[in-house]
Amino acid sequence: MAKTFLIDIARCNGCRSCQVACKDEHCGADWAPYAAPQPDTGQFWIEVDEQVRGSVPKVKMAYTPHSCRHCADAPCLEAGRDGAVYRRDDGLVIIDPERARGQRAIVEACPFGAVFWNEALALPQKCTGCAHLLEDGWSEPRCVDACPTGALRWIDEEDAIAAGGEALGATDSCTPRTRYLNVPKRFVAGEAYDREADEELIGCTVTLLSDGTEVAKTTTDDFGDFWFHDVEPGLYRVRFEYPNYLPREVEADVRTEDRNIGGVALASA
Amino acid sequence: MGTTKDRSVYKTLGWCGFGAGTNAGIVDVKEGKIARIRPMRIDEKYSVDDIKPWTIHARGSSFTPGLKTTLPPLAYGYKQRVYSPNRVPYPLKRVDWDPQGERHPETRGISGYERISWDEAAQICADEIARVIDTYGCSAVFCQGDGHGETKIIGGGHGCNTRLMDVLGGYTCQARQPDSWEGWYWGAKHVWGMDPVGKQTLQNNVLRDVSQNSDAVLFWGCDPETTPWGWGGQIASQICYWWTDLGIKSIYVCPDLNYGAAVHADTWIPVLPNTDAALQLAIAYVWMTEGLYDRSYIDTHAVGFDWFEYYVLGREDGVPKTPKWAEEKCGVPSRRIKALARYWAQHNVSIAHCNGGGYIRSCFSHEPGRLEVCLLAMQAVGAPGRNQISMIEWGLYGQQNLLTCPRPAGGTYFGAAFTGHLPGTGLRWSIPQTMVPDAILLPEGEELTWYGHVIAGLPRIDQFGQHRYPEPGASRIHMFWTDTPCWSTCWNGGNRMQDALRDPSIEFMLVQHPWMENDTLFADIILPVSTKLEQTDIATCTMCGHNDLAIHEEQAVDPVGEARTDAECVLAIAEKLGVAELLVGTWLGSMSVDEARAQLPEQFAAHTLTDEEKVAAFEELKRVGFMGGNPNLAKGDGPRSKQLSAMKGGMSQYLPFEKFVEVGYYPFPTADDWEDDPAGLIQFHDDPEGHPLDTPTGKIEFYATGIAEHWPGDEERPPVPHWIEESEAHHERLTCDRGKDYPFLVVSNHPRWRVHAEHDDIAWLRELNACKVIGPDGYRYEPVWVNPVDARARNLHDGDIVRIFNERGNVLGGVVVTERIMPHCISQDHGARVDSIVTGTGGLDRGGANNLICPGATTSKNAPGEVTNGFLANIEKVDVQALAAQYPEEFNRDYDPAVGLIASARIVKEA
Repeated sequence: MAKTFLIDIARCNGCRSCQVACKDEHCGADWAPYAAPQPDTGQFWIEVDEQVRGSVPKVKMAYTPHSCRHCADAPCLEAGRDGAVYRRDDGLVIIDPERARGQRAIVEACPFGAVFWNEALALPQKCTGCAHLLEDGWSEPRCVDACPTGALRWIDEEDAIAAGGEALGATDSCTPRTRYLNVPKRFVAGEAYDREADEELIGCTVTLLSDGTEVAKTTTDDFGDFWFHDVEPGLYRVRFEYPNYLPREVEADVRTEDRNIGGVALASA
Repeated sequence: MGTTKDRSVYKTLGWCGFGAGTNAGIVDVKEGKIARIRPMRIDEKYSVDDIKPWTIHARGSSFTPGLKTTLPPLAYGYKQRVYSPNRVPYPLKRVDWDPQGERHPETRGISGYERISWDEAAQICADEIARVIDTYGCSAVFCQGDGHGETKIIGGGHGCNTRLMDVLGGYTCQARQPDSWEGWYWGAKHVWGMDPVGKQTLQNNVLRDVSQNSDAVLFWGCDPETTPWGWGGQIASQICYWWTDLGIKSIYVCPDLNYGAAVHADTWIPVLPNTDAALQLAIAYVWMTEGLYDRSYIDTHAVGFDWFEYYVLGREDGVPKTPKWAEEKCGVPSRRIKALARYWAQHNVSIAHCNGGGYIRSCFSHEPGRLEVCLLAMQAVGAPGRNQISMIEWGLYGQQNLLTCPRPAGGTYFGAAFTGHLPGTGLRWSIPQTMVPDAILLPEGEELTWYGHVIAGLPRIDQFGQHRYPEPGASRIHMFWTDTPCWSTCWNGGNRMQDALRDPSIEFMLVQHPWMENDTLFADIILPVSTKLEQTDIATCTMCGHNDLAIHEEQAVDPVGEARTDAECVLAIAEKLGVAELLVGTWLGSMSVDEARAQLPEQFAAHTLTDEEKVAAFEELKRVGFMGGNPNLAKGDGPRSKQLSAMKGGMSQYLPFEKFVEVGYYPFPTADDWEDDPAGLIQFHDDPEGHPLDTPTGKIEFYATGIAEHWPGDEERPPVPHWIEESEAHHERLTCDRGKDYPFLVVSNHPRWRVHAEHDDIAWLRELNACKVIGPDGYRYEPVWVNPVDARARNLHDGDIVRIFNERGNVLGGVVVTERIMPHCISQDHGARVDSIVTGTGGLDRGGANNLICPGATTSKNAPGEVTNGFLANIEKVDVQALAAQYPEEFNRDYDPAVGLIASARIVKEA
């Protein structure tokens, strides 16, 4: 049965336990025939990217763990000569640490930068899914074992797909098998207030418009704040409507990044 | 055994000091080396029926901590701490310190070290102790054993020197601060009691209450994704996710988007560091003027509210504490303060804390500490969903009432076998941790005075007693002996501490420690200490949220180099003094300290124990901890000693010692009747007369009668909590005169990638972009968060190296331009490894150890707490190449970019 990683971005607290546990497992440790020792620093068989989204005080962090995606049609498999890269029955793609010596093309073949070149050993290296541990009776790789929140799971591939896991980064020529849940899109956030009265406007209707068409609608919360999560990149206008106040529209540009449009003052009618 | 390990040992991997272990894990060993460190499964050797893990049901959902421990990354990377190239490899002597001749105190921190034998090192230490006692008396020996470092029992640490000095006649003790909860200790206690912590100590079933009844949780200066790591893992993180699933609103009030806010906040309210008191007063103002508080509760549950109202409404000083008034001080828009006040009044709101932060560790921190309680009281604290919840240190001190999560049936503490210092004992002569530099640098003939023993865990009434240094008839200190040498990077004003450590009055400085870091580099003699992975011990794993555990820790690997346990270091010195048997006797409890003193030899003469005798003694000590009943703890002279003795040992009721050693651990099941425990303050809420608080009036004291009685004229901590702008000692507001030269407030939180000074040499953490910033010279600098607004104004960019400076000195950092910090503030985690370029006041530190430039003065005039956050500084870009040219020797010390400073930088002669 093919297994895969299912990564829930909404559950990742950014602690890097996965990343450090991976290092603990592989740095300086020879797990032949699955992996040669990883150098102490510089390689990241799993790495958590972080991104700061928005601006004060509407700021969120997105943490995204990345590792080898053990792709269905893995380019590294094709790039490897002499059986240097092979797939196990459980779906894991393994770079044979003996046969792959000298084969730098395996590094270059990966569209995700998940394969690293070990200069000293002249060897391409990457995540093995801790095959040596699975063979030794473990039920999951180190990174999954170390994850404190359940953001990382090692499950049957069909269950990952059924759960709605997204094959992040899929292209025509490559389908990652690692699946992601809750991949963030962009957000538009802000605040509605009455400058003269020095009051937040609570329950103000806020509409997100794209080319004049309503995309989403919400109301401001108890702090006068509103959030549109999971907005597609683009140029929007945000309309504010509140009884006895003049309506107002402002621009929200989320073509390249999340946007806190800040405090929007409405004037009483 | 499989192919990926030869054997496995259980090991607790917490850094909470004083024998209270946490973070149970498994160390797999292969070919004599650490193969991996991984979580422990509590059900490995016990059935779920034995363990009875708890489950809380709320709003149609349920939460259980499960059966696997949740270690922090600090534990997964600990192999690198064990095998760090910065380990002290063998005993070392400072090259220009000659106990028979010139001692050169002025070159401490600068000069190098030479290798000496264990025998020579122990003899020098014994001779110096004997000489100092003979010349000055026992009070001249200062023993430092603070809370930072590995947690061990028989291995000691944290004041392992104290029992030997007790036997020899006493010592001057560095009193252990309530260092992560200063504001509650010095402030909140005077409002609602809550001994010994000052935070809400009636925590039973508060987790259930909040989960079932709260609409929102205010995480006020609280980071549940950082501070719990060293003290109990990551269950707090799981709880925060669950609360969001339940629809509980998470509101974060802090200057920085801390790591909890980063992933859990529904609303982030940035507030300038240490201005929370203004925000709190304005909330009270809104409630008073809009009738949004529970007047009837105040009438029946509180005293002195009228005084508070008189102040808040401006009748006392003509300044109403309006939201507009507060906005200028705290940086929160007044409209937002009003919205927060109204939301809070109309919902069930609890406040969550994880210690730490500028909220509770800055000047006058007692004011926000107690204002918070006043606000809770105005909203009927104790009502369902309205409590103060602790997200850390669940069950601290082994106290059942501090268990926020469901209560276990039974428990233990192995304090009877702890060879370190037990806080609350050895107080004949003591100096508060915060005042150590003041004491050492005190002009001859003067005396220092302060209130309270300044020890975490003591009750409120202890604060009223006045103490002095030096005690009449007792010598000042002339020898400094530490097993936790991190003062300068952990406490209030490290540069001044460096001055103190070089003072000629300190004739001998002895450090025993595993690593060549921080104050170790000021030692005259350094003894190499093993890490706990090189030791066998017993431990408890508590405060994690899952079932408490008692653990037998086997030795995982051989000691690195010539390292010994802290207890073995002290024993080696005791052997040279001929008092080893007496020391071992007091550790084992087979003789009291008084009995040992009565048997002291006339003349010190070496008498050694055989290796077999030592091994047998330490093995027996494990049994003592397991069984309990060390008479030396029951008879200690500190107020807490009775309490400590009451909670130790007693394990034989659960299983025999031999079985414990064989199985390796014992899990305490959840109590069957945990759900019957009244939640939080509900009993006080329902019946304040029948369930009074431990304040003088039994009620919530808006007007603190204890303060009024003892310090009626204290303007920095008056009976009713106030906004304190400045004081004689503290000018740390953006608006004060110093603010012109130093226009930033420094946020120096408990670190994300360290536990205080621990872990700064773990390469796998250091290579995280979030952990260090690589400078143009390849050095990994401690990050400094700068808001884009401030960065633009100063032309600062990501990766620039800046100096953070004030009159007290300069520390370097690597700029990260980020929206995670509000304007007018900079944030740099505290506890980075000191890398002094210029030592002492006005000095320059490359490592980014910002405690070096913290204020030296204590919380306020009569409250000797620490001030280590929310202080003024400026930042300025530096040219590191120019600095390197100016200080070539210091910039060219041996350095490995991956791990940082390494021991070889300081060892000039190997043999």
